[in-house]
Amino acid sequence: MELFKALNNEICEETSGTYAPYYFRCLGYRRDFAAKPSVLRANGIYALFTETEPVILKSELIAGNKKSLYTDAPHEILEYSEKTVKKFGERSFITNKDHYAPNYSHILSVGIPGLIGEIEASMEVHKDDSEKLDTLLSMKHSILGFKLMIENYKNAALSSKNDPSYTAERLELIINNCEAITKGKPQSFSQALQLIWFCHLAFLMEGRYAMALGRLDQYLYPFYKNDIEKGLITDKEVTELLENVFIKLQGDVVNICIGGQNKNGECEVNPLSLCILKAVGNCNVPGPNLSLRLTKNTPDEFLDECLKTIGTGLGYPALMNDDVNLAALKRYGYEDEDLYDYCMVGCIENFITGKQPPWSDGRFDTPRYFDYIFNNGVSKTNKSCGIDMGDVEKLGSMADFMSAFEEQLKFGVAEYVARFNASNCAINQKFFPEPFLSCFCDDCIGRGLDINNGGSKYPSVHGAAIMGIGTTADSLAAIEKVIFNDKAATLTQLKDALNANFEGFEELRERLLEAPKYGNNDEFVDKYAVWFIDYLAGLFDKYKTRDGGGIYVAAAANVSNIYAGRIINATPDGRKRGEPLSDAASPTYGRDVKGPTSTVNSVTKPDYTKVACGSVVNQKFSPAMFSDNNRPKLLGLIRTYFKKGGQEMQINATSREILKKAMEEPQNYRNLVVRVSGFSAFYVTLEREVQLDILNRTQQE
Amino acid sequence: MILNISNIQHFSTGDGAGIRTTVFFKGCNLRCPWCHNPENLSAAPSVLHYKNLDKTEIMGKRVTVDEILPELLEDKDFFDQSSGGVTLSGGEVMLQADSAAELAIALRSCGVGVLIDTAGCVPYSEFEKLNAVVQGYLFDFKTADAKKYKEIGGDLELVSENIKKLKNEKLELHIRIPLIPGFNTDLGSLEAICRHLEKTGIKEVELLPFHRLGSGKYEAMVLEYKYAKLPPMKADELERIAQLFGTKGFSVKKEG
Repeated sequence: MELFKALNNEICEETSGTYAPYYFRCLGYRRDFAAKPSVLRANGIYALFTETEPVILKSELIAGNKKSLYTDAPHEILEYSEKTVKKFGERSFITNKDHYAPNYSHILSVGIPGLIGEIEASMEVHKDDSEKLDTLLSMKHSILGFKLMIENYKNAALSSKNDPSYTAERLELIINNCEAITKGKPQSFSQALQLIWFCHLAFLMEGRYAMALGRLDQYLYPFYKNDIEKGLITDKEVTELLENVFIKLQGDVVNICIGGQNKNGECEVNPLSLCILKAVGNCNVPGPNLSLRLTKNTPDEFLDECLKTIGTGLGYPALMNDDVNLAALKRYGYEDEDLYDYCMVGCIENFITGKQPPWSDGRFDTPRYFDYIFNNGVSKTNKSCGIDMGDVEKLGSMADFMSAFEEQLKFGVAEYVARFNASNCAINQKFFPEPFLSCFCDDCIGRGLDINNGGSKYPSVHGAAIMGIGTTADSLAAIEKVIFNDKAATLTQLKDALNANFEGFEELRERLLEAPKYGNNDEFVDKYAVWFIDYLAGLFDKYKTRDGGGIYVAAAANVSNIYAGRIINATPDGRKRGEPLSDAASPTYGRDVKGPTSTVNSVTKPDYTKVACGSVVNQKFSPAMFSDNNRPKLLGLIRTYFKKGGQEMQINATSREILKKAMEEPQNYRNLVVRVSGFSAFYVTLEREVQLDILNRTQQE
Repeated sequence: MILNISNIQHFSTGDGAGIRTTVFFKGCNLRCPWCHNPENLSAAPSVLHYKNLDKTEIMGKRVTVDEILPELLEDKDFFDQSSGGVTLSGGEVMLQADSAAELAIALRSCGVGVLIDTAGCVPYSEFEKLNAVVQGYLFDFKTADAKKYKEIGGDLELVSENIKKLKNEKLELHIRIPLIPGFNTDLGSLEAICRHLEKTGIKEVELLPFHRLGSGKYEAMVLEYKYAKLPPMKADELERIAQLFGTKGFSVKKEG
């Protein structure tokens, strides 16, 4: 059995006691409840790192796991601790807690002692500024706690030596690595990886989620190269070490970025990128969220390797158009050196590594704003309001309708930003310092300021995920075609149909459904998708975050399009009340029926250099598309897509589950295609027995 | 000139190199009972009714080159990137050689290469109309048994002659063998195919394993499909046949 599988079994084994991060944090708070916020928080972190008892697992090459957060303390104390810690509160996603890519290359280059030295040097500089001194002192305290935690791991490994069920060689590796990284800079690949993993683990212990590993193939490369050149390590061993870490990322969304280009346009894929790809593929678990910054000169061989991994059913890596992302981020004035070092946090959000506060984003439900035009500024399905525009019949042309829609959106965006800023500023920034996290953000140490209080080089940014490009474009095209061109119904009839969820208006719904749909390379509807991005990006661009950063837009949804759809009335594209909106930047599912090239032709029309947060276009292919014969075609499709200005593609091999679902709900899977020589058919048109043939051929996880 | 087609398929795979758009022509002079495109047998429009989707589709339209050219050029960027192009398939394209040639010329003048997917049972004079304007042919060879060829409406001698002549042209010629259990996959049939192709000077073959994906269309057309119950060819069976061709000195490409 591969080592990572054995490790996975160990991780999954039940741990005795109760999982109690609050308990450990409270031990720190209790040292001095009346301490200043910076001291209080640092005390909490220090206890979290040092009062916990490390557990060394037998299959670990890289030590560190969350089992240390279990305790046998009585439940009365646990309840008290939780209540107490919660009283003091903490940041949340919307107040810049996590979804952050730490500056790992810095700690690798100076080591823990170096970092402590930097803090001390800064204390000297700011010795007359008591507030900054407090901030720096709390950073130092938390780093000292972190160092002690690693020493505790070393001691735990040392004492495991008496237990014959442990492998001496592995323990030796852990002991040496822990020793080395507490005393100085990491000297080898495994030491560097061990240090990064301890940092990530520390963030997990603090309760952070979706912390990115960032450009792992870049900042670890010097260590990899050195070890390989000296014959100290092989690719196989490197991959095994990486697997040992990646298997621990399950249940989280940890973005790992590979590839990319430097400012001379040179592709930065290296042999370590391939090891990372292989390790992610081997582990084959959700959690390590792999992203490829794909450039024009990323070698075809590497892209092909990525397609093989995607074809296993894993769906990773997500493919990011590096040129589009760089152009989009450039609009915000980042210095080149920082710009070219961007990575992703969470699913796809573009992030300037280690130089801005943690990410936040929210959902802007674009198709909701139709409702206010039709219903005097009130939505009956979600109790929200827009502008009362009076009788809809007054809108005599498509141009009138568009202006009305734009007015509603202007109102909506202003409201969205106001609400976001209100939540984002609802906390007293000074009461919620992040001493440990700040050590991983430039230039908090130098400035003596917290990451969320002026320490970061760049201000915080926020992403507004604009929902429903397909639903909106399809709706506008349907209104233009059915109401204004064909004059097959009036706006009042459309209003009645929408409010009746099309009951009694089946014929009108048919007409709306027959209007051109986004994703088929039809300019009649695609022009509205272009407008959608231009107009909304322009509206959000007028606003700033609390500290002056940009409000980016995202054309990404994760599964939010389903939640958004649930509360939105029927829409003019024929979508019924409660049904999902179109997903991310993709056309409405099942409506792009001319194949992937037509989808690409449509979805590359909007200007994604205005979508700084990032976008997602989901494409599903049958597993046969990943065969040796067919992969070059997929590669050609992706290259053309990116050449035409597409920003992101998330490719999935159609799973057995999807095929099964398509058999049950054929109406929702009308665009699922089966292709063979001289033949292609929509899966849903196949006979049941034949569908089963294909289902049975699709043997994957 | 008018083209009688059923549909246009973007991003076809298995119809030649690169990303291709395939135009399916209506009407065929063969009647292979395993055919997966029954809607293209007749030159007249076919009505397909899919019960589970409650959808009726009429396949068959008469169009001009100018009418379909814009759609075929939509994917030009993809063709250029992947060395792909347009494939004309069917039905039997060669029954409409004059209009196919006009289409191929139009596409060629826009920098798009054309492949013809054919069963080749037409006089060579029809090929001569296209040879100068296409990249080449995906040429089906179904059996080395003259009697069996006749049963499906073909002519072994004509097919063989056409292959020989096309071999002398400076064109791509991909000989493709549909592997149909009960028709040509027993050892004797396969060996006969090898001998026959060897004599014709063919060194490379592409194998197309039987599948019954077309059965839904038969049902939608209320036609009986004799192969409905025959399971698709297993991978190891295909591998065995590929090895046989390999030992006879052919270079073999398998679909998929």
